Amino acid sequence: MTPFVADFLIPVGKIAAVILYPMGMVVVMIWLERRVVALIQGRLGPNRVGFQGILQPVADAVKLFFKENIMQRQADKFLFNISPVLVMFSSLLAFCFVPLGEPIQIGSYTLTLWIAESPVGLLIILGLSSISVFGVIFGGWASNSKYPLMGALRSVIQVLSYEIPVGLTVLTVAFIARSMDLVEIVRRQESSGVWYGFLMPVSFVVFWISAVAETNRAPFDLPEAESELVAGYHTEYSGMKFAYFYMAEYAHMVLVSSLVVILFFGGWLPPFPSVKALSFLHAVPGFVWYLIKIMFFLYLYVWIRATFPRYRFDLLIRLVWKWLIPLSLVNFLAIALVRYLL
Amino acid sequence: MALKEIDLNMGPQHPSTHGVLRLKLAVDNEVVLRVVPVIGYLHRGMEKLWESLTYVQVVPLTDRLDYLAALSNNLGYVLAVEKLAGIEVPRRARYIRVVLAELQRLASHLAAVGFMANDIGAMSVLLYGFEAREDVLDIFEEYCGARLTVHGIRIGGVPHDLDGALVARIRTVIDGIPKHLADIRTLLDENRIWKGRTVGVGVIGAGDAVDYGLTGPSLRASGVPWDIRKDIPYSSYDEFDFDVPLRTNGDVYDRYFVRVEEMYQSIRIVRQALDGLPAGEISARVPRVLKVPPGEVFHTIEAPKGVLGFYVKSDGTDKPERVKMKSPSFINLQSLEHMCKGNLFSDVVGILGSLDIVLGEIDK
Amino acid sequence: MSRLRRFLKMAFLLDILQGLWVTLRIYFSRKVTIQYPEQVKEPAPRFRGILRLFRDDQGEPLCIACKACQRACGTNCFDIEGKKEEGSKVMRPVKFDWKLGRCSFCGFCVEVCPTSAIRFSREFRLTGVGKEGLFFHLPDMYLAGEALQEHLCAGCRRPK
Repeated sequence: MTPFVADFLIPVGKIAAVILYPMGMVVVMIWLERRVVALIQGRLGPNRVGFQGILQPVADAVKLFFKENIMQRQADKFLFNISPVLVMFSSLLAFCFVPLGEPIQIGSYTLTLWIAESPVGLLIILGLSSISVFGVIFGGWASNSKYPLMGALRSVIQVLSYEIPVGLTVLTVAFIARSMDLVEIVRRQESSGVWYGFLMPVSFVVFWISAVAETNRAPFDLPEAESELVAGYHTEYSGMKFAYFYMAEYAHMVLVSSLVVILFFGGWLPPFPSVKALSFLHAVPGFVWYLIKIMFFLYLYVWIRATFPRYRFDLLIRLVWKWLIPLSLVNFLAIALVRYLL
Repeated sequence: MALKEIDLNMGPQHPSTHGVLRLKLAVDNEVVLRVVPVIGYLHRGMEKLWESLTYVQVVPLTDRLDYLAALSNNLGYVLAVEKLAGIEVPRRARYIRVVLAELQRLASHLAAVGFMANDIGAMSVLLYGFEAREDVLDIFEEYCGARLTVHGIRIGGVPHDLDGALVARIRTVIDGIPKHLADIRTLLDENRIWKGRTVGVGVIGAGDAVDYGLTGPSLRASGVPWDIRKDIPYSSYDEFDFDVPLRTNGDVYDRYFVRVEEMYQSIRIVRQALDGLPAGEISARVPRVLKVPPGEVFHTIEAPKGVLGFYVKSDGTDKPERVKMKSPSFINLQSLEHMCKGNLFSDVVGILGSLDIVLGEIDK
Repeated sequence: MSRLRRFLKMAFLLDILQGLWVTLRIYFSRKVTIQYPEQVKEPAPRFRGILRLFRDDQGEPLCIACKACQRACGTNCFDIEGKKEEGSKVMRPVKFDWKLGRCSFCGFCVEVCPTSAIRFSREFRLTGVGKEGLFFHLPDMYLAGEALQEHLCAGCRRPK
């Protein structure tokens, strides 16, 4: 391995992968969401553009590309333009810290399947994904119109409130795994033989609900609901900028799914990783298991969206402050107590 | 602390206003203070137009009023004219009219529940309701040729007979509707999100409801047991055994629940009517050119949306002198402000959906 | 006991899970969508499609220009003139103008026609691109299928 390859090509390749992997998943999600929601509703969804409609995202992208980029005269140009970028930036940057598998040996070179590993990787990801709040509020403010501003404010309150249960539940995982390094957490799940999702179901459920609320998805999508009065912070955006918001939401969903899988469902581990009789499952590469699990959670996102009505804003806030935060606090204390006693 | 009022406009083009309705809202920091509906965007001059048509030619145009329950409009007008002209409708025709009217009630309530759920966010319920509604519309297509603008009743009786094949088909359809309803109910009835959005929202008490002239399922959800089919029976409704669902809270949840229960009762009525279908003529002998003796009549029926009334004034010729239609949605819309006051403005859409209005019959 | 049951149902998200089960079941069920235009649903026999004039078994037109349809129509779609030919016992229409744009598909003309000359067809594909396509003269009233579609597209200003 020449220094050129090891120090230049491979990092550039990893950066390209970190951009292409979520973007590729976003493209898949656009198709998946429309097809799955349609099938749940008893109809077929897009099935004409390409085989079973898989080229539909291409058609959507081309359509959005050709739309006119409208901006109000009184809008704040800089903030208006930068907010889609901020939202996308925060999701993509967090992907640098998401590991995709155990390092691979190629000859004498160890290829690590992540861009960066940090002993506090969990904290960094949570912090980076919170930058998207700025994008939302700049977008609402810069649109210079009362409906987007109100939608943006609601979205900000929602995201900030739901950060708390997210933090508390991932702390329980960090507690049990004695580490905040994501790779270490997966390795601990392998050595302990049980995925944390089954060990701490309350943590998982609270984390999942809060994560769905963090990503502004149904049933917590009042800030961007189509049939309500206020159409949300991306009302005034059209064309490619709107596409950016749209894609950033999906990228954030993929990030959250990756996090759930790593923290609670063993990342790239096959089921029952330490059972000798099922060791043939290790023949399937870890990345495949990882993808299967992520796809399951993405399906779950879409399934939930198609089934439930929307929470009204005050009910949403009441849910988090009266139920989820006390529950996650109690859960955290219980786990800490168990850890202390055992 | 002074109120900071913001004026919001839910314009005529809006995904959830069930037609071209404009709502001017005055909002104080999310709480609704005033709601002023602005209507007239769909006015077509129906009542004036009817004065230049004969009594028979008016019937197909009444389809276009409440287009989600077209046959009820037909029935209301036809019954008013028959009362004025003194036409006696044979018993078989009355039973067939009951079957068709109750099927139309099923279709209308399925659409109403679906739209209400869609406005609150449960998109799939809309499509499940419409899938059930498709079966009912297929029956109408078999019977009279059209699914929406049915024109399925004539002055004097009905245009076609219900033969054995059609009766069997109707039975199959009404046996299948409860399965669709069970799915919808599982998704909505006990769902905590649905209950959080609808219980205690848009409340109107019994006294206020009667003062505002509210009728139909919305009135029965507030606890007032007024149903024209029971209190002033028409078209042999008094020969059938059915219950009138009643709830007491008068909120959005109760208005949804009453409509669901009414669907079960409609299925019951259709079964009784099909089982007891008498032999006989399907239409009275009505002259080709119908001249109605001078006089005036006001006749009401229980349309799916409320009490539908037709006032017909005749001057002895074959064209009516004046026809006035009292549409339930027009009167029900008055109570929207009372229901919305004090609620958050994200509830306005849900409350409007629970009132179940159709702009076609508001604007005429 | 019932309070405990209600608490357990709420804590274990029973209503949520029941809703998810319903949608999962429907996700895997067979869909009733008919994919137009490859699949077409045949309308019912009494379906009120576009009005057409019909001929009898010998190929003679059934219409006797009695103008009953014109009198019955509530929207003034018809403009009919008839003439009795020499040596013939029946009137025949010489002008039969019908406006599709005014028709409300109510069916009165069909009901009053003494010879069942005018009847509903089951053709529901009635889109065109020009207003001229909405006017039907006497020979046009017998068109069906492709020829009818050609007529409906009359007045198209797009270059061929």
